[in-house]
Amino acid sequence: MNLTNDIEIKGLALYIPKHKAAIISDLQLGYEENLISQGVLVPFTQFEDTKERLSKDLNDLELDTIIVNGDLKHEFGRISRQEWKDVLRIIDFLSSFCKNLILVKGNHDIVLSSITKKKGVGVVDSFQLGDIFITHGHEIPEIPKGVKSIIIGHDHPAVKLRDGDVSETYKCYLKGKWKRKTLIVQPSSFLLTEGTDVLHYTLKSPFLEKGIENFEIFVVADKPFYFGKLKDLR
Amino acid sequence: MRWVEILKRETKEYSDEAILKKMNPLVGSWFTEKFKSFSPPQSHAILNIHNKESTLISAPTGSGKTLSAFLSILSELITLSEKGKLEDRVYCVYISPLKALNNDIEKNLKEPLEELEKLAGKDLGVRVAVRTGDTSQYERSKMLKKPPHILITTPESLSLILVAPKFRELLRGVDWAVIDEIHSLAPNKRGVHLSLSLERLQNISGRFTRIGLSATVSPLDEVAKYLVGLEDGKQRPCNIVDSGFIKKLDLKVTCPVESIIDATQQDLHEGLYTKLDKLISEHKTTLIFTNTRSATERVVHHLKQNFPKKYIENIGAHHSSLSKTHRHEIESKLKNGELKVVVCSTSLELGIDIGYIDLVILLGSPKSVSRALQRVGRSGHKLHDTVKGRFIVMDRDDLVECSVILKNAMEGHIDKIDIPKNCLDVLVQHIYGEAITEKQHSENLFSMIKRSYCYKDLPLEKYESVLGYLAGEYVSLEARHVYAKIWWDHETNMIGRRGKLARVLYSTNIGTIPDESFLIVKVKDQNIGSLDESFLERIKKGDIFVLGGSTYRFNFARGMTVQVSPAPGRVPTVPSWFSEMLPLSYDLAVDIQKLRRKMEELLVSGKSKREIKKFLHTHLYIDDFAANSIYEYMREQHLYAEIPHDKKMVIEFYSGFSDKKYVIFHTLYGRRVNDALSRAIAYELSKISKRGVSINLTDNGFYITSDKGKLQVLRAFKAVTPQNIRKILTEAIDSTEILKRRFRHCAGRSLMILRTYKGRKKSAGRQQVSAMILLKAVKRISDNFPILEEARREVLEDLMDIKNAENELRKLHSKKTAVKIIATDVPSPFSLNLIARGYMDVIKMEDKLEFIRRMHKAVLDRIGKYEPNK
Repeated sequence: MNLTNDIEIKGLALYIPKHKAAIISDLQLGYEENLISQGVLVPFTQFEDTKERLSKDLNDLELDTIIVNGDLKHEFGRISRQEWKDVLRIIDFLSSFCKNLILVKGNHDIVLSSITKKKGVGVVDSFQLGDIFITHGHEIPEIPKGVKSIIIGHDHPAVKLRDGDVSETYKCYLKGKWKRKTLIVQPSSFLLTEGTDVLHYTLKSPFLEKGIENFEIFVVADKPFYFGKLKDLR
Repeated sequence: MRWVEILKRETKEYSDEAILKKMNPLVGSWFTEKFKSFSPPQSHAILNIHNKESTLISAPTGSGKTLSAFLSILSELITLSEKGKLEDRVYCVYISPLKALNNDIEKNLKEPLEELEKLAGKDLGVRVAVRTGDTSQYERSKMLKKPPHILITTPESLSLILVAPKFRELLRGVDWAVIDEIHSLAPNKRGVHLSLSLERLQNISGRFTRIGLSATVSPLDEVAKYLVGLEDGKQRPCNIVDSGFIKKLDLKVTCPVESIIDATQQDLHEGLYTKLDKLISEHKTTLIFTNTRSATERVVHHLKQNFPKKYIENIGAHHSSLSKTHRHEIESKLKNGELKVVVCSTSLELGIDIGYIDLVILLGSPKSVSRALQRVGRSGHKLHDTVKGRFIVMDRDDLVECSVILKNAMEGHIDKIDIPKNCLDVLVQHIYGEAITEKQHSENLFSMIKRSYCYKDLPLEKYESVLGYLAGEYVSLEARHVYAKIWWDHETNMIGRRGKLARVLYSTNIGTIPDESFLIVKVKDQNIGSLDESFLERIKKGDIFVLGGSTYRFNFARGMTVQVSPAPGRVPTVPSWFSEMLPLSYDLAVDIQKLRRKMEELLVSGKSKREIKKFLHTHLYIDDFAANSIYEYMREQHLYAEIPHDKKMVIEFYSGFSDKKYVIFHTLYGRRVNDALSRAIAYELSKISKRGVSINLTDNGFYITSDKGKLQVLRAFKAVTPQNIRKILTEAIDSTEILKRRFRHCAGRSLMILRTYKGRKKSAGRQQVSAMILLKAVKRISDNFPILEEARREVLEDLMDIKNAENELRKLHSKKTAVKIIATDVPSPFSLNLIARGYMDVIKMEDKLEFIRRMHKAVLDRIGKYEPNK
């Protein structure tokens, strides 16, 4: 399914065929360890599941570049042993699909550079592919002239659908406008939770300050589903 | 003493002489000086216990139950002491579910001991001590040096003591275990937990005499089996002393007005308070049960408002939302006779001594005979006092229900309890506890577990799936050290503990009661109140409810926070205390159905009103007003539609206002069975019609509504069979709030969510959010993950009643119960309560009353106004 002429939904990844690039966001590696340290003994499968999911989404694509749009890891500040291990493995894993791996800095990635230096992978504040601008979304950087579309992550959009007392939450893409440019909010590739329910919660990104009532919702299930505008879903 | 059957109804009553002959002379003289003679439970039980035979004593409060257990024990201990043979170890473990009760008992044991010592003129050296979560470290070390001979504790603390390395050694020769209030433990997971602790205790101390003390409960045989457990697969023997009904009962069902259906809300309100005031004034101290917290507050408020000079300092409210200090204050004031009336929800039902009460009023049905007896039994505490209770009913279904309850209470028919079986989460705690104590063979452990009545049929594969869970086998080897609590060597089949923190983890996290589960209700960021967690099981987006006097609209919930918006002037669609309401017991429901059938037979055979009322008087022990209302109620349903009963289920198709279609199932089986049936049918229906279906249920039935088109309800109904309902329900509850909540409770019990970890405690809200994540992760591993299976079992068997749902389906499918389908354009009288959302707050009835009276008038227009001369 196409979000714009140039941008396609491929599961949890966005694909830009013109530039042979794929974008994923908010992997949040190491979250499990955080839960466990709080006494919630969630079974340790995040890394394997994430790899499996990423393979599924990226395998059939012709790729030169993969961009990870922020929050590759979970912890603020210090890096835990598990995160270190997982980040290195993910970098290797993603590099096997492409020639260039770009990491865009997110708000959880403060000490990322110490890991990535080891692998020789750079960390940037934002990245541009033609007229498509990619940034994490926790702050608004300077947007160059000529940008027509902006892709952000950060808010982990999801939508909770209820029928009586049965409810299911699904990851979703949001598409709307910011200063007359197309703005796309990408769901997280973090598999333990779906994300923040856009129907009932306010999203945090400064790009979304004016609200998202007119944004369109694309639910990600086994394939993408168009659900119309947010305000109509209420 | 020998017995032929394994469970012996002990009918032999021993003479005072025979008993005293076997008692220590000091104890004998003390007893005869203090009491006149032995009470019935005492004359039946004391010598059995003296002969080391396990015994279950069922008797009302004030009948000398406790002494039946302790007289022989004290006698033996004093004899040993006199011979200089009393050792420094625990001889008797006394277990009670209430911490407060433990303190009462210590007084009731310490007092006799003091009196005995006075009589003997010397120190007898028999030590009694309490050990619970509140016992200080100092007291605990004191206990190690000078162990109590009689140890008083709670079920949870017992399982902790079993793991304490030093104290455990003092339990090696226990001779008696007394389990008090066993009727309140057996039907839930706390009782399951206790049953395993008792087997673990027996494993280290050898056989001991088990004494169970119970209020009136049914079936006694099953509770006895639960008490003693099995040996080598065979039921252990137990005596049953059944003194359940020795007290005189003075019970009445009354109504504040002559005809419920004709009265206005004003009439009922005034009538109620006039009646309450009258009854209260005629007695010294009255206890009123209202079933819900909000009704408690309102009754107190209105009594004070309507009679400002009479009820000022001498009235009190008591329920679980009030502070501990407030409750203790009310309890001691009651005990000291300073209060004229106390109004409570259900909180004063259990054992604590609250002094002299001469009248119990029940506002609204208590929903089971045992509950009714428990409540009225709070009056007239001493053995020969009369138990006095008055039921005040405000609607016709309540009237019928309470009348049948009264009949069953007078005739000694109590509703049966269900003892939960094969609970995997409780099993986790005990296997862990055993592994912590010492490494052992998994087969030996399995045999020990199967000695508990609750696990006698535990399949090996379920046991092993729990072992696998505890051993962390659901994750890879490298990750295992994080999750595994035990190691399990598959070759030698030995198991043992893992991790240095095992004992700490165990001690701070065991127990079966889930953490305080109050929801915080908010309008945006503002806190407006709290609700019981189970509120979420029934509420839908858009439902309107009342809290603290204002109406709100439910929007959504996250963790333990509920987001709502003010909805002033809107009509409530769900009572906020819905889930506080107790479910009607299935046995009682069946009895009400039988009454309905009898009434139908009488009406069909053309008996006159006089004759039918005569039947009602004698059959139900009710007065003229009540008989009148019941007669009219049944007659209306009979003439206008059909009376549903135990041999005939009625499905009523009713077209309501503005195209709304109702299909009403008149299934008087109680809410638990109806929950199972209605969900299964709704699920099948949504598969057929491919759209969501709305179900509403009560104790008396359930209905399905749809705004669009014809419902394929009958097809869905036929699709649910006794063979497939379990499978259907398992699918139907997936992704529901109920399953998510129960999963959290089970995950907590199974130590998958540790509420205390590394010294920090986690709130219920955080636990709930974590539980969601856990549930998703667990589902990905296996649909049969033991904790998930247990959550499902709990929902289907403990929360709902799938067993009796299957029974009813069997009767329907074998045509033992007929099915009659009718169509109405005004709801039949029995349907009115169902459609008006069932549970009526005793006090607030405006909209519902209006609606019902309007409908009722329409019904009467059809069948003709009632002729008084007929």
